[in-house]
Amino acid sequence: MTKPQNIGTQLNKRTTTLNQEDLPGDFALWIFIFAEMLAFGVLFIAYAFARANDVALFNESQLTLNLTAGVINTLVLITSSYCVVRGVSAIKQGSPKQCAYFLMGAFLLGAVFVCVKMWEFNAKFSAGITLSTNNFYMFYLSLTFFHFMHVLMGMVILACIIKKCLRGGYGAQDYVGVETGASFWHMVDFLWVILFPLIYLIR
Amino acid sequence: MMNRQKKENITHYFSTMIWIVLVVLTIVSYCLGETGMHGKAVMLTLLAITMIKSQLIAHYFMGLHKTKLLWRGIMFCYFIVVGGLIALAYLKGMPSN
Repeated sequence: MTKPQNIGTQLNKRTTTLNQEDLPGDFALWIFIFAEMLAFGVLFIAYAFARANDVALFNESQLTLNLTAGVINTLVLITSSYCVVRGVSAIKQGSPKQCAYFLMGAFLLGAVFVCVKMWEFNAKFSAGITLSTNNFYMFYLSLTFFHFMHVLMGMVILACIIKKCLRGGYGAQDYVGVETGASFWHMVDFLWVILFPLIYLIR
Repeated sequence: MMNRQKKENITHYFSTMIWIVLVVLTIVSYCLGETGMHGKAVMLTLLAITMIKSQLIAHYFMGLHKTKLLWRGIMFCYFIVVGGLIALAYLKGMPSN
């Protein structure tokens, strides 16, 4: 007959194994992440099929976009995601200060993204381009603005985590909040990595 | 303690390598776009690069490589469906020779 203590140990082992295989961070946020990915996915597909109906107009309008600004933003988001990875690693090692510094780096890079994007929006609005100019600009402005709002939301989440980290609210045994925020930020990066070639590059 | 430190160093080295690969792939995509080349081959190359980049982010930055096959499968299927339909739409829009 198995002793209750052994059953407890076995259950703990089982729980640890299951936790390791689960998604990092809070599962509730992952439902939100999957929902957001679905929404963006539908918009990406809608853009591609709308383009198929008027290729000449989409190609011509695409040439007016600033490709350099797009690639700078891609590199900025990829690097900020890398900073977040290092931040999560630091908190797992029990270094909340180091984690906060990495997340600050990610936050600042997020701010760079916001500035570049606002400069791009300003250039387009100054040229008299609006949502109703044509179908390409309707998709370009809606998709990039929708994504831009996610970047801002991600920055708010990062700021909250940094604040809590500096106050010692996270540690080597309690880092679910950091992982949750990190997952959201990576989703923002993941979506931009698809959005950038779709809107700026592929002809 | 030494083992843990060694493991952490390997993790940092690995994530840095992934970051470098992502940067290089982004620059390659940019160069392809900057040349103004277009057509089926360029479109498929850019989509393939996008797929590699998105999977690297999902697996190694989001940390899905340690999770159940189900979650990795969802991410993979997402790109296959979305990327596949995008490719289909672009092929539909290409002039038939």
